[in-house]
Amino acid sequence: MSPYSLNDLAARLIAFEATDEDFRDILETLQVMADDRALPEGVRALMGDALVRWIAAPADTRERAAVDLQQVVVAAQGRLDLRDRLTVALHSEPAPSPARESAAPPAAQQSAAPLLPPDSDLSLLTDFIAESRELLEHAEAALLGLEIDPDDAEAVNTIFRAFHTIKGTSAFLALDYLNEFAHHAETVLSRVRDREIRCTGGYADLALRSCDMIRSLLDATQDALEGRGDALPDGYDALLSVVREPEAAGISELGGRAPRSDDDANETPDGTMLLSARDAFAASERSAARRPGSGSDRSADSSVRVRTARLDRLIEMVGELVIAESMISQDPILKQGGHIELNRKVTHAEKIVRELQDLSMAMRMVPLKAPFQKVARLVRDLGARSGKRIEFVAEGEETEIDRNMVDFLGDPLVHMVRNSVDHGIEPPEERRAAGKPETGTVRLSAYHASGNVVVALRDDGRGLNREKIVRKAMQQGLIATAEGMSDKEVYELIFSPGFSTADQVTDVSGRGVGMDVVRRNIEALRGRIEIQSVPGQGTTFLVRLPLTLAITDGMLVRVGGERYIVPTINIHLSFRPSRAALSTVAGRGEMVMLRDEVMPLVRLHRIFGVDGAKEEPTDALLMVVGDGNQRTALLVDELLGQQQVVAKTLGDGLGRVPAISGGAILGDGRVGLILDVNELLTLARHGDVSDHMHTPSRAVA
Amino acid sequence: MHSATATVSPARLAQAGKYLTFFLANEEYGVEILKVHEIIGILPITRVPRTPAFVRGVINLRGKVIPIIDLRDRFGMSREGAEEQVIIVVQVHGIQLGVVVDKVSEVLSIADGDIEPTPSFGVDVSTEYLLGLAKGEGRVRLLLDIDRVLTASEIDSVHAAAAAEG
Repeated sequence: MSPYSLNDLAARLIAFEATDEDFRDILETLQVMADDRALPEGVRALMGDALVRWIAAPADTRERAAVDLQQVVVAAQGRLDLRDRLTVALHSEPAPSPARESAAPPAAQQSAAPLLPPDSDLSLLTDFIAESRELLEHAEAALLGLEIDPDDAEAVNTIFRAFHTIKGTSAFLALDYLNEFAHHAETVLSRVRDREIRCTGGYADLALRSCDMIRSLLDATQDALEGRGDALPDGYDALLSVVREPEAAGISELGGRAPRSDDDANETPDGTMLLSARDAFAASERSAARRPGSGSDRSADSSVRVRTARLDRLIEMVGELVIAESMISQDPILKQGGHIELNRKVTHAEKIVRELQDLSMAMRMVPLKAPFQKVARLVRDLGARSGKRIEFVAEGEETEIDRNMVDFLGDPLVHMVRNSVDHGIEPPEERRAAGKPETGTVRLSAYHASGNVVVALRDDGRGLNREKIVRKAMQQGLIATAEGMSDKEVYELIFSPGFSTADQVTDVSGRGVGMDVVRRNIEALRGRIEIQSVPGQGTTFLVRLPLTLAITDGMLVRVGGERYIVPTINIHLSFRPSRAALSTVAGRGEMVMLRDEVMPLVRLHRIFGVDGAKEEPTDALLMVVGDGNQRTALLVDELLGQQQVVAKTLGDGLGRVPAISGGAILGDGRVGLILDVNELLTLARHGDVSDHMHTPSRAVA
Repeated sequence: MHSATATVSPARLAQAGKYLTFFLANEEYGVEILKVHEIIGILPITRVPRTPAFVRGVINLRGKVIPIIDLRDRFGMSREGAEEQVIIVVQVHGIQLGVVVDKVSEVLSIADGDIEPTPSFGVDVSTEYLLGLAKGEGRVRLLLDIDRVLTASEIDSVHAAAAAEG
């Protein structure tokens, strides 16, 4: 069977907006269909013609070509219908009717049926999945709020509405499994709404698990849509039977105020787990004002859903506009004077463009709410599993950050939280013995500070144990001795690859992966992570991130005929050395002295194999880069000025280029390369300064 | 007969269909039209350090940075007398890349019967990037295996090889 149908093509054409992805999709679809021998000859010929016409059309008239193409599709559809009618008539046996046509709701016996109905509408399904995910997020927030205030009727309604909407739409789209599940989950919630049961203990847990299951079902549907398998999520049947008859599965309103006996509670292993979960949150009821991700801000701003690819393209184009505009305003003709009126107009345009740029950057800022909510849920689950009592406090979750970074922040946060809960917070007995409240606190806060976003995770647990870290680090051969190491340096060791102090491996943490990955991820976001700890009082992880990855403050430098952008954050200062400040080691390694500090001198042109650069440092310029005790002087010809640039990748075709983090379009429309200073220094330090590609190799130790 | 095409690994054979043809010096090459995204005039190329020699650099394609590949280097041809005027932007495995050529010739329909496997020329001539030859109108056109010329894995392996040598 062809992976593409005419319906797919039609769907793409309708949504066509001349982006590269659409273009590729259409081209591929046409190509596959033109070659698909299962299609009738006439349709294939039509597709072949359409393909040629499409390619011949220049990029800017493809919008119009898309309309032509739609007519081709309609024509092809006509021929296909004809063939289908013929086939049906010939075999006089209708296609097997899908399971959903049976009047009875789908049950366990039809688990062999596909997730997707055979004739699903691609765009409708995609919208449905996106919308449902959002609904689930709201529902989950409301559920967590309910654990604190079980009588919040508005929260119950939010959850009920979410399940109800998902149920209704999935029925319309013939997504049987989703529909079935959402239906029963909704039934349970309708009992909550009608005050028949309270959404606490087992019911709360069941509702959260139902959210997870629906999310898994949505994922599975998405996978099926994209042709990556058609499998039901694990545990679907099991959870479905629980949701159908919760009481039969031993679910109850466990907890202090619920009129239930303890025998009842301990009947199932699930039950005991739920009991501690309930306890873990009992303490937080006192602080309803600080509840995490509460469903209270329902005053939803009116908003429009925009495809991210389109948004990124818009921001990119605004960036281009800014550059184009600056090319005009810096045109020599304007500088000559005598064009007062024109100058005034250009200045006016410039103002508008700047405002547009600010606006477009703001469009991709999103609040940190989503990752914070994930953490709230995680703390709840982890606390329940480990029998610790933990109150979670979130602050500043409305702090905004680049959308692209939010996704990458999730994983490091999860690792850090696991670390805090598993290693930081003590079990209740230990806390009581130490004279601390039995309930531990994990506080996640975010705020803006000097152009950065700071995310802090603070626990009031036992703090980092210096001796234990040193012992482990020595065992693992990370250090020979801890003598002379400050506490801060010792704490830094937990970011080493493979480091773990957990005495035993739990399913929460202690597998020796984690903190080094956290640091790597944070650094990939051009951020920094710091750790502060006081024994017996707790540990704080401080993560500092730039507001956005899209814009880099850079210094444009010239080396020979090439220009590079050095991120300003990497540059300490630049100076022209005197002859006396220069010296060499063994005739080779070059050094320069700056105010009693001796640092190695690295010639950028040599590392990059650039011809025609200045060789004499006293004629050129040295830029001090690198951090702390590893400062290095980088030799460049001259500084051309400071510039904000929009960082772009060099394209997937190049793979990783050493010491280059990306490219940016410069004022003259050419591409400038952005240096990755840390990588550059590593390259220089390892003595691999011979450019294997562009200059004859030199032996360097 | 397929053994005649074999150089490094069994390459796939050219298929009948539409090809865009272009010139490098006086040799005419063909590339499957479906891989061609657009054709643009030559733009200033920014050299990227520490990349294989066949990577000429990157260009700004309406705000997008894409790499440019040098086919002459790939084929071991001299750059003498090159009058590179055109960049053909191709899309291979979802990756956009530019190829600098002297000039674009035409779009040609090539039938199965016109295609012949690439003969072996011995070690001096590298034919691993060719899908075959197309005869027609008294001329021979070399059909490029653009996927092989440009894939990232190829570039990565060159990276790795270079690192190993260094």
